[in-house]
Amino acid sequence: MKKKPALLAAALLLVTVLSGCGGKSENTGASTAPANTGGSGNSNKEVTLRIAWWGSDNRHTYTQQIIDMYEEQNPNVKIEAEYASFDDYWKKLAPQAAANRLPDIIQMDISYINQYGSNGQLEDLAPYLNNQIQVGDVNENVLSTGNIEGKQYGIPMGVNVLGLNYDPALLKKAGVDSIPENWTWDQYKEIALKARDAGLFMDGSMTADVFFNYYLRSNGFSLYNNDGSALGYEDDNLFVEFFGMLSGLIEEGAVPTQDKLSQNKGVIEESDIVKGTGIGVWQWSNQYVSLQKAVNRPMALAPMPGPGMEKGLYMQPSMYWSITSNSAAKEEAAKFIDFWTNSEEANLIIKGERGVPISNKIKEALGGSLSEAEKQVFEFVAEMEPKTSPMSPPVGSPEVVALLTDLAEQLNFGKIEPDAAAAQFRTEANAILANR
Amino acid sequence: MSLERPLNQGMPVIRKKMLNKRLKQNLTGYAFIGPFVIGFLSFTLIPMIVSLYLSFTKYNLFASPTWVGLDNYIKMFTNDPKYLQSLKVTFTYVFLGVPLRLMFALFVAMILNTSSRAVGAYRTIYYLPSIIGGSVAVSIMWRNIFSDTGIINGFLGLFGIGPVSWFGDPQAALFMLITLSVWQFGSSMLIFLAGLKNIPGEMYEAASVDGAGFFRKFFKITLPLLSSVILFNLVMQTISAFMTFVPAYIISKGEGGPMDGTMLYSLYLFRQAFMFNNMGYASAMAWVMLLIVGIMTGILFKTSRSWVFYESEGGK
Repeated sequence: MKKKPALLAAALLLVTVLSGCGGKSENTGASTAPANTGGSGNSNKEVTLRIAWWGSDNRHTYTQQIIDMYEEQNPNVKIEAEYASFDDYWKKLAPQAAANRLPDIIQMDISYINQYGSNGQLEDLAPYLNNQIQVGDVNENVLSTGNIEGKQYGIPMGVNVLGLNYDPALLKKAGVDSIPENWTWDQYKEIALKARDAGLFMDGSMTADVFFNYYLRSNGFSLYNNDGSALGYEDDNLFVEFFGMLSGLIEEGAVPTQDKLSQNKGVIEESDIVKGTGIGVWQWSNQYVSLQKAVNRPMALAPMPGPGMEKGLYMQPSMYWSITSNSAAKEEAAKFIDFWTNSEEANLIIKGERGVPISNKIKEALGGSLSEAEKQVFEFVAEMEPKTSPMSPPVGSPEVVALLTDLAEQLNFGKIEPDAAAAQFRTEANAILANR
Repeated sequence: MSLERPLNQGMPVIRKKMLNKRLKQNLTGYAFIGPFVIGFLSFTLIPMIVSLYLSFTKYNLFASPTWVGLDNYIKMFTNDPKYLQSLKVTFTYVFLGVPLRLMFALFVAMILNTSSRAVGAYRTIYYLPSIIGGSVAVSIMWRNIFSDTGIINGFLGLFGIGPVSWFGDPQAALFMLITLSVWQFGSSMLIFLAGLKNIPGEMYEAASVDGAGFFRKFFKITLPLLSSVILFNLVMQTISAFMTFVPAYIISKGEGGPMDGTMLYSLYLFRQAFMFNNMGYASAMAWVMLLIVGIMTGILFKTSRSWVFYESEGGK
């Protein structure tokens, strides 16, 4: 009899542990079940949507606010939010995709949309356009960034444009009054050398994959070919020219050495422009606001150098909303995306945190509530928009990006010659792309 | 008891009672280990078997795995320079980092093995870095200390040196990881300290009487009597050093740079698995890692016969 309490305790422990495990799966089961019934399209039926995104705390807070607002206006819809940091988000999403249990609405990134889309995880949203989701006043080049081979796998939430974010006062110190209109790579090199002579750095070099792709586009090519089975350019001279220029500027002393670049990578406070020793940074327009805040001096945005700028430039979707093909309430999900894209009161809360909004009406409505730096970004994007060319999300691979980044680093360290790097990139990248 | 009655029919009462009692006793045991067994099966054994299977496949999480035989293992050693680089970095990290860390731990343990009143406080202070040891915060702090505007470069700046790119130079970056690991010596230090306390004081007294100096006592008494503790620390630290991930991930921003200088094995494995979605290849890497750690541990135990001294076996 003495054993009884012990046995009981053990059994209890076991039960609680087991129920702990079981409870979770029950919950997720319950959340998908009502969603199944919502598929009929009857908008008065109870619907539960699961929605997932990545981001910072600030983004979680205001996104939840908008979800609450939507639930209030649509009492039949319940929205369950799942969020994480960027890295964790994809680690969570991949197994859910493998198990066909993705949330109804997921935030998508340009580097993943192709993988998820071509593997049948995402719904083609083309039939929903201008039915559930109004996109009448959205630029075609913006919308097409979510379009892969005729299938609309995502609706961009906002857009960014490449450019130089710089300090005009430091540029003057280098003896250059302003960035010339329609400037070229040669003019860029000239200015960079003037900056060096004035004891300044021109910039912190360029992100290899993004800017090389721009350079290829401005020459009429692209990093990957259309179906992503090989590289999208034949002439290795393009590689040699572009990366030769970047590593050349480091050799000349116009750009910090690679060990400095590696040391300070990703730390805004350590960048030369913040310290007042560098003129600018090449980056996406959405990164301007936080950079300007760190620099805390008047700053400006300049377009990309040419020739061929208008061919090379594209509207970069900051991120998309996608609807998954395993969702049972696709129409309801689409209505939420419409609310996000076109509701003025929602966008007054979002305030362009996910990139400059795609709807022209919303952009105008936001005008008055923006800070000085935010206004600069909105204006820059508006100015660039007519100069962009269409871009479909690359059918690329993170492995190729890593390879290119590696080679650029070796070039900048002076460990490899540009033509050897170009040849190595071609053979290894094509091997990765062919073997997927 | 009413439930047991129907079961008893047709069996000798005593045997039944014994059986029942044993069953009940065992059941208690099973119930207690139940949570562990379930956890072990679902979170360790089954995933391991699955990973062994996946290591012979090509699997990107989206399409179902396709069998490729030994391709993953062959590719590792014949067609992936980055893999070999990660092996080189990891071995450098382990072979430099572990001995340095143990020496430092022993050194501090010996200093703390004195009978001063403040010794308790010192022990706590020296152990602190290990409690927060493998964490993200320490790695970030390490990066800040050695950043361009960090305290170390600020100090060097007083003498007109630098700023030095501690994490920007491929060789220096790995060295920084090693010093970080040496600095987290606390847990081995505590074990050394316990070992030192176990060495009888008379031995040192007798040696002193015979005229032995500090070094003589250290090499003839302390080291031999501490050898079993050294072996324990060596094995544990070697295993954990092979699996180091967090510092390299944080300090290189997940890229293992510059020039793959901090591409530790588990970081490369992580990149293959979660950035490139090459789950099959990553699983194969994990199994090779298990093999390497197993072999290293085996070697340590084999050689230990010639240098570890067990009092209980009569000095063998």
